Amino acid sequence: MKFVDEFRDPELGATLAREILGVVDPTTHYKLMEVCGGHTHSIYKYGVDDLLPSNVELVHGPGCPVCVIPMGRVDDAIALSHEPGVIFTCFGDMMRVPGSDGTLQDAKARGADIRMVYSPLDALRIARSNPGREVVFFAIGFETTAPSTALTLMRAKAEGITNFSCFCNHVTIVPPLRALLESPDLRLDGFVGPGHVSTVVGARPLEFIPADYGKPVVVSGFEPVDILQSVLMILKQLREGRCEVENQYRRVVPYEGNPNALRVMSEVFALRPHFEWRGLGFISQSGLRLSDAYQELDAERRFSVPGVRVADPKACQCGEVLKGVIKPFECKVFGTACTPERPIGTCMVSSEGACAAYYNYGRFARDRELV
Amino acid sequence: MSLNDHCITCSDEGTEMTVLRIDATRMLALCAAPDGAHASVEIALIDDVAVGDLLLVHAGTALIRVEVLA
Repeated sequence: MKFVDEFRDPELGATLAREILGVVDPTTHYKLMEVCGGHTHSIYKYGVDDLLPSNVELVHGPGCPVCVIPMGRVDDAIALSHEPGVIFTCFGDMMRVPGSDGTLQDAKARGADIRMVYSPLDALRIARSNPGREVVFFAIGFETTAPSTALTLMRAKAEGITNFSCFCNHVTIVPPLRALLESPDLRLDGFVGPGHVSTVVGARPLEFIPADYGKPVVVSGFEPVDILQSVLMILKQLREGRCEVENQYRRVVPYEGNPNALRVMSEVFALRPHFEWRGLGFISQSGLRLSDAYQELDAERRFSVPGVRVADPKACQCGEVLKGVIKPFECKVFGTACTPERPIGTCMVSSEGACAAYYNYGRFARDRELV
Repeated sequence: MSLNDHCITCSDEGTEMTVLRIDATRMLALCAAPDGAHASVEIALIDDVAVGDLLLVHAGTALIRVEVLA
């Protein structure tokens, strides 16, 4: 398969692993963060970390939107789903994210009309087919998903569809990265940068990381060879004393992003003053709301939303996992009380969450890391 | 990435799909995924989409034409 087979080539992977071994200083411990949940998933699915020297450690970042949604917003979504006459639509994984009193799946079992969709356009189709009902779409995701929501809202407005609205939880990638870099309990040497987010925003917004914090960034693809090559590029920067943004994923990521996508986002969305992230707390200008031009399609204006802040369960350590402070298996409930079948924390819900990736592919890695 | 083992809500889930047919009026294209599945894809963000183009698709929307920069 084009753009897949060549990036899963075992020979190429072995060559890159040997090159990495030749670049590292054996007396130095390197701590690199992969920002995206997609990278975490690939690393454990393909055993990429097993090909790295023991002094190159990969820590997992906050780039999974399901994982960073706070419990209060899930409670708000459940409240919206119980509004009379509402058809509530959301992506599949959100159905299983626990709020303070169950999940959207539980709400559906209690009678709420909640439907899983694969794209915002599917939600709009439901609105067209049910003119007598209010259809709410639970919008979530980074800049990769936000253009899709924006185009859907533009279509709804253009077609005059008045029974459609959006519960907007879109977030942006740069503010949480800055928050992580400001965190005193985290020492990082470099970043495997977000791939598909950068398709939209480009690699340029990441330039603050080398400029302000002196850390190299390599925007990376998601196949195992992509990730190995990105790790090698970071290590080469460190060895050569360079510090810059490089783009390993040039087959997909233009350095300046997609101007059409940025344009529709700027028309439909505006920055919130602050937004809560699970584990990271409130981060300034990190969340998106609907712009004033689209306020009639904003579910938070159309309906009454509780908006109550809810603390995470005490046993759950998703916050520390999302900041890369602890490994998933170091959480007290990992693999016992918290499993993909019965998750307590968000990182175990999404297939791209670090805990789910460890549980599904890497739980035996614990032994290797303790050696 | 394969279609089945990734979370659709993730910021970085993406599927490379080939354009089979274009409805320029509605800015939609019928596309084929690597596993043969067909889907209707929003193409408003990509200029001059043509049949045979390989697009990176996320949540039903094409984000970029693959290979342009290769």
